[in-house]
Amino acid sequence: MTTTTIDPAIGPDRARALFDEELAAARTDAAVQALRNRWIARQGSWVAAFMERLAQATPEEKKQLGRGANELKKHVEAALAGREQELAATRRPAGAVDITLPGRAPRLGYRHPLSLIRDEVGEIFSRLGYQVLEGPEIEDDYHNFEALNMPAEHPARDMQDTLYLAEPLMPASYEPPTRGRAPLEPQPLTLLRTHTSAMQIREMERQDPPVRLVAIGPVYRRDNLDLTHTPMFHQVEGLVVGRGVTLADLKGTLTSMAAALFGAGRPVRFRPSFFPYTEPSAEVDIQCLRCDGVGCPVCKRTGWVEILGSGMVHPAVFEFVGYDPDEVTGFAFGMGIERVALLKWGVEDIRLFYENDLRFLEQFGR
Amino acid sequence: MKVLLSWVREFVDVDESAEAIGRKMSMRGLALEGLETAGSDALLDFDVTANRPDCLSITGIAREIAVAYGLPFRAPAARLAPFAAAASAASGATLPITIEAPELCSRYVGAIADVTIGPSPPWLADRLTACGVRPINNVVDVTNYVLLEIGHPMHAFDHARLDGPAIVVRPARPGESIKTLDGKQRTLSPDMLVIADAAHASAIGGVMGGAESEVAGGTRRIVFEAAWFKPQSVRATSRKLGLRTEASMRFERGADITAPPLAMARACELLQQIGAGQAAGPIIDAYPRRYEPARIWLPQPRIAGLLGMQVANDEVRRILEALGFEVNAGDGGWWVRAPGWRIDVHRDVDLVEEVGRHHGFEHLPTTFPGVQQAPSPSDPRITRDGRVRQIALGSGFSEAISFAFIEARYAEPFGDGKAVTLANPLSEKFAVMRPSLVPGVIAAVGHNRRHGRRDVQLFEIGTRFARSGEERVLALAWTGLATPDHWSGGRRDADFFDMKGVVEAVAAQFDVTLAVDLPADGSMPHRVLVPGRAAIVKRGDRVVGWLGQLRSEVTDAHDVPANDVVWAAEVALDVLAPAGASTAKRAMPLPRYPATVRDIALLVDESLSAAIVRGTIRSHAPETLVSVVEFDRYQGKGIPDGKVSLALRLTFQSPERTLTDAEVESATTEVVELLAREAGAVRR
Repeated sequence: MTTTTIDPAIGPDRARALFDEELAAARTDAAVQALRNRWIARQGSWVAAFMERLAQATPEEKKQLGRGANELKKHVEAALAGREQELAATRRPAGAVDITLPGRAPRLGYRHPLSLIRDEVGEIFSRLGYQVLEGPEIEDDYHNFEALNMPAEHPARDMQDTLYLAEPLMPASYEPPTRGRAPLEPQPLTLLRTHTSAMQIREMERQDPPVRLVAIGPVYRRDNLDLTHTPMFHQVEGLVVGRGVTLADLKGTLTSMAAALFGAGRPVRFRPSFFPYTEPSAEVDIQCLRCDGVGCPVCKRTGWVEILGSGMVHPAVFEFVGYDPDEVTGFAFGMGIERVALLKWGVEDIRLFYENDLRFLEQFGR
Repeated sequence: MKVLLSWVREFVDVDESAEAIGRKMSMRGLALEGLETAGSDALLDFDVTANRPDCLSITGIAREIAVAYGLPFRAPAARLAPFAAAASAASGATLPITIEAPELCSRYVGAIADVTIGPSPPWLADRLTACGVRPINNVVDVTNYVLLEIGHPMHAFDHARLDGPAIVVRPARPGESIKTLDGKQRTLSPDMLVIADAAHASAIGGVMGGAESEVAGGTRRIVFEAAWFKPQSVRATSRKLGLRTEASMRFERGADITAPPLAMARACELLQQIGAGQAAGPIIDAYPRRYEPARIWLPQPRIAGLLGMQVANDEVRRILEALGFEVNAGDGGWWVRAPGWRIDVHRDVDLVEEVGRHHGFEHLPTTFPGVQQAPSPSDPRITRDGRVRQIALGSGFSEAISFAFIEARYAEPFGDGKAVTLANPLSEKFAVMRPSLVPGVIAAVGHNRRHGRRDVQLFEIGTRFARSGEERVLALAWTGLATPDHWSGGRRDADFFDMKGVVEAVAAQFDVTLAVDLPADGSMPHRVLVPGRAAIVKRGDRVVGWLGQLRSEVTDAHDVPANDVVWAAEVALDVLAPAGASTAKRAMPLPRYPATVRDIALLVDESLSAAIVRGTIRSHAPETLVSVVEFDRYQGKGIPDGKVSLALRLTFQSPERTLTDAEVESATTEVVELLAREAGAVRR
């Protein structure tokens, strides 16, 4: 606030306007006191200077200007008292803290987005009465391929490029199968599982029907790193076997899962496809989340994005594990966790999931 | 498979738009991958699944469209069959065909034609171009046109360049070589099949022709080939030679053994039609292994039993017959024979799929499988790991997920020298299965530090690999401040005891008490750790992990900025808290009598560990001493060199009565005297 004295030559009306302007800016006790000194103090204020000047005026002028000066003085006193009251009302009590300073945030870590999706999917299927399983990441050829109806020369093996161990390992423990066609001898572990479907075989060998499970975990393929591929990714595998399990049951189950993951209003399409270990086979598409079906680069202008492959368990697979395909039917599905995360959150580069950059990880929640 | 709509319409009168056809066929098993308009025409790109080589053709796709729309399909066979039959029946073959390996080549149809080589007419060349095939000359273009239209690969040899002239289908001779059409000289092995003349190999069966017998400008007479090769053999040859062609791709998926005469008839017809030449003799059909389609029994209830929807019997028959199956009603079902091009159909479920897909999955109701019994328990590791994750998150660590394969040089300091390595890694960066999760979290620390993060706390729960098997572990890494920066101060870097506290908190979650200790044999706790700032973690006698400050060589290797102090730990969860271990607990009643606390301060040698002080107290203290906690440790001003002031809080409590001051006092004095005697402690 300026401390220069005010020209006493300005009249009370102009003085009042000037004071009001200054008052508007006075937000502290000190500022209010400064205004008082400047305008109405016995000495050195505008009123004091004005009165001094008035002494030389004619009686007529004295009477008129004197009244104006008095009114101004009253106005200033009242206004300053009012402002002081206002300030008093907002004054902090003794021992008060400055509540506008930052709080002391507990340091809590953030969940990895893939871990969140994994749990979400596990939760969805737990509610539907599925057991949730994990399994070995190094597999033998029989469980990863052969028992899934992919013999050595099957063209479906072209669809996945497998990572093999330089030297096979022998399993730490081995329980010979009690039925089915699994080899009686422990099999050398030769490869990194290319899909969680290997768990279908392991569990059907172990459990009698009915079976109702999801298996979740990392899988490996010989794919180069790019925007949509990583050589390791995560899958969730579902398997239901029992009497009278149908393709319609699969459609219902996957439709409800898609609704839980992507929102109930999201259109879902269930269309025929091919996998060696299911017959009939189906893929599930959801309407593109980017363009809502209009067509965009994400969905290759089709309006739909594929989220998973599925189908009715192939009778040959049942024969491998020693289930009677005339007695039981079943469905299976496999879904990429990364793919769900990419679509759900609009992540454009799958490699971000493996960089562990905190600026990325901190976006998804605890 | 790219198909021109106008070409498809030669076989089925579908008047829907290309978009509508694409949408419809996507729901029938032919997913539309792309759609381009080509003038008044349209090019539809369908994703053909591996089981349907028959759909790698215009007619294959036209047949599917016809079934989907309930329209008649104009099979080329109907027009060409008489032509083919007449030609086949003709005798007086002018071309001897010998098949020495009928297992690998079960049918070979050949014909001789006189030709005038020149360019194809524009309509034909344009169609090839639209479908992605480069026009070469009228004869080669005819073979490619037939390939695209009918789906059966063909080949043409220059008759004059064949020794004999004869066709001999035989395994390659050891060391035999051939220059293929792409100009490369290739050495063959006896597991490969060649088409030879009387002397030399002139083509690699089902893969590529030879340059020697190539049809070129001066060719006057040709031999057309339409054969059937065994899929496995073509695949193996194509792989071994690194040579994939339109022909090999179709043969390895499985060609139609009934198609060669048809393809030959179409080729001869087309040759004549475009004025490129005409057949000079009969079509010769060497067919040593006749194909017998299997009869498949399709029980009527199987359809609804598998699909969960009813499909009318008329509709079942309509779909199967329109797809080319031979259907005969039986008792409660149908006897079905698959056409030669449906190499994917073997059992009733395959037929159910055909019925379901063309009836439409969109008509399937949405139901849920019934529950017959309570679900079996889930993998107990999931719950266990979830509890570990809670502690890590609550201690400020964010969750990392890293690749399970790492570079050998990163794995080496963490392994036992017998790492699990990959035979065919993508690159050196992904060559070894991680023997520890710590390298992954250090790499993540380095990444975050290089991107401007000062404080980094990361954990990962995952699998580590050894030749003895897979193991689930927790890895932790911490660099920077111990607590978030705050205006109130209290700024301090993370240290050993921060990390130790977290590891102990994880163990406490499972009611496990860990010993953080040094190896009994005097060795270093871990070679990646700074000596004196490192410890092993034991549960009873078993080592479950380690913790400490990482050596700078280790952090440097991961490009963590120099001078960063990084604390790390790794804990084997399956040893710390075996999944599924009993968690039975009984509640303890609350104490009925108050506790009494006494603080004592002692001057001891700085080399005397807290554990020894605590142990000495514990070994002699009365039962009423329920806890001993170090609450202050001080060195410096007022403390003699080589000494440390240690403050201990002793808590006394009895479950039976309130302890008297005198009792507590005398017990405390006893403790102090004991420490003076056994450890040279002086009370301050």
